[in-house]
Amino acid sequence: MSERTPKVIFENVSKSFDVKGDKLEVLESIDLTVGEGELVCLLGPSGCGKSTLLNIAGGFEQPSSGTIKIDGELITAPDPRRVFVFQEYGIFPWASVWDNVVLGLRHLSKDKQYEIASEIIDLVGLSGFEKTYPMALSGGMKQRVEVARALAVSPDVLYMDEPFGALDSLTRLTMRSELIRIWKDRKPTILFVTHDVDEAIQLAERVVVFTGRPGSIAGVIPIDLEHPRDLGSAQYGVIKNKLYELLGVSHLI
Amino acid sequence: MTTPLIVIAVAALCFLIGTRGSARVQNILLPLSVTAILVGLWDLACVLTDTQVFPTPAKTWAAFGEIVESERLWGDTVASLFRVTWGFLLAAAVGIPLGLVVGWSTRTFRALNPIIQGLRPISPIAWIPIAILWFGIGDGAGIFLIFLSSFFPITVGTMAAVRNISLVHQRSAMNFQMTGLELFRRVVFPASLPQIITSLRISLGVAWLVIVAAEMVGMDSGLGYLINDARNAGSRYDLVVATMIIIGLIGIVLDLLIRQLEKFDEVRWGYVNR
Ligand SMILES: Nc1ncnc2c1ncn2[C@@H]1O[C@H](COP(=O)(O)OP(=O)(O)OP(=O)(O)O)[C@@H](O)[C@H]1O
Ligand SMILES: [Mg+2]
Repeated sequence: MSERTPKVIFENVSKSFDVKGDKLEVLESIDLTVGEGELVCLLGPSGCGKSTLLNIAGGFEQPSSGTIKIDGELITAPDPRRVFVFQEYGIFPWASVWDNVVLGLRHLSKDKQYEIASEIIDLVGLSGFEKTYPMALSGGMKQRVEVARALAVSPDVLYMDEPFGALDSLTRLTMRSELIRIWKDRKPTILFVTHDVDEAIQLAERVVVFTGRPGSIAGVIPIDLEHPRDLGSAQYGVIKNKLYELLGVSHLI
Repeated sequence: MTTPLIVIAVAALCFLIGTRGSARVQNILLPLSVTAILVGLWDLACVLTDTQVFPTPAKTWAAFGEIVESERLWGDTVASLFRVTWGFLLAAAVGIPLGLVVGWSTRTFRALNPIIQGLRPISPIAWIPIAILWFGIGDGAGIFLIFLSSFFPITVGTMAAVRNISLVHQRSAMNFQMTGLELFRRVVFPASLPQIITSLRISLGVAWLVIVAAEMVGMDSGLGYLINDARNAGSRYDLVVATMIIIGLIGIVLDLLIRQLEKFDEVRWGYVNR
């Protein structure tokens, strides 16, 4: 990974919240560099500050100290070049699939919108559902709409906050392989938050493991496995053990 | 004495049969039989107390025919509906945009919310003297009162809806750099619309309550005036009760009409349990 141009650079990022006068330390001196086109998973226990870190990177919140730079630029506000895929559904329930997907394309001509949106909708496998409203879609389909809406603007960075967390295990598997397919196709930089060890190993080129709150980086594990990855392989088991070790839990129950 | 008892007995039997039926049967038979039982009880009470003033269901039915034939009903209904429609539409036209802006902008909210909350608890009925002072007796005062009674629920409901917009949707809007009018048109308004429609529904109901009261006190036409007139013109309580029933029925129709707004795809998401 070292030969990649750095894309997102976290430098000594800390964050605390004021909760009824008390200071709640959520993140502690995070240093992390993510390369251009890299798929990094942020793995950690619930409440360790993964969403908070992603929100800071997305420009929705400010760090208490430290900086985040993308392409050398300091992040201060959200930007359509870097799109967030939310933990809870962020698509608009009052708009059809089509209207959701063209949201970020609204400054383009109708022809251009049509060209891009139909291609993306096809890519996420939602052709034929353009006029459907999210209410009538399954959880997996809604999440595809959200991914499509994000991809439509050809972002250089995708922030994905447990995007498949609410899906059933089968749909989750399909969505993961589709994400890999789309990522290979377009090569955006992806910061993917999860608390699922298997998900991290299946997706990531590197897994960044967080400690419990206040979250700091417990370790970074590279995963040099080719896609499609074999869940049953020996290397897989070794990596899994390492991750559990870093998380400080045993998977032998 | 026997007729109401028979009605009650038959209605009770229908009710029992109805409880065993399918949902469709229940939806029709149960309310019908309950209504019949109540009408039977009403009749029975008239017979037992031997009242000379309060009308029996039969007399009320006859009065019903009398009002319809007298052609006053049409004019008074139109008068009431006219005031409600214009007062309500004006209130919606002012209240929805105001609620959207006050709900969205924290500074405007701080400035205006106390005033809105302070004026809101004043019953529209209390405004009647002022309404008559400003507009005289007639449609103007009626429209003004309906405007007041609808304006506050609509504005406050819209404000609350805007302040309830989920953080995820706000952030989606920020992420795609929506600002100004576009932000309102594409996110703030549609996100609040289900709750806005609910507040429209509530305020139309209130408006229909208020117009009758207002017409009884300070107007010379309308269904409220018709009630007052019937009582003053020789204690015609049969006409009073018949008019009350008509008011109730129109209220149901108004609610049914405004509920159609809840059926659009753009807002249905707001009414299903997720
Ligand atoms: N705006 C806020 N104000 C106060 N506390 C907050 C705020 N946002 C997050 N927190 C707290 O910060 C901590 C970390 O939250 P965060 O959502 O980042 O966790 P997470 O790692 O994403 O957890 P999960 O895996 O459950 O989503 C939590 O204890 C949470 O209560
Ligand atoms: Mg989270």
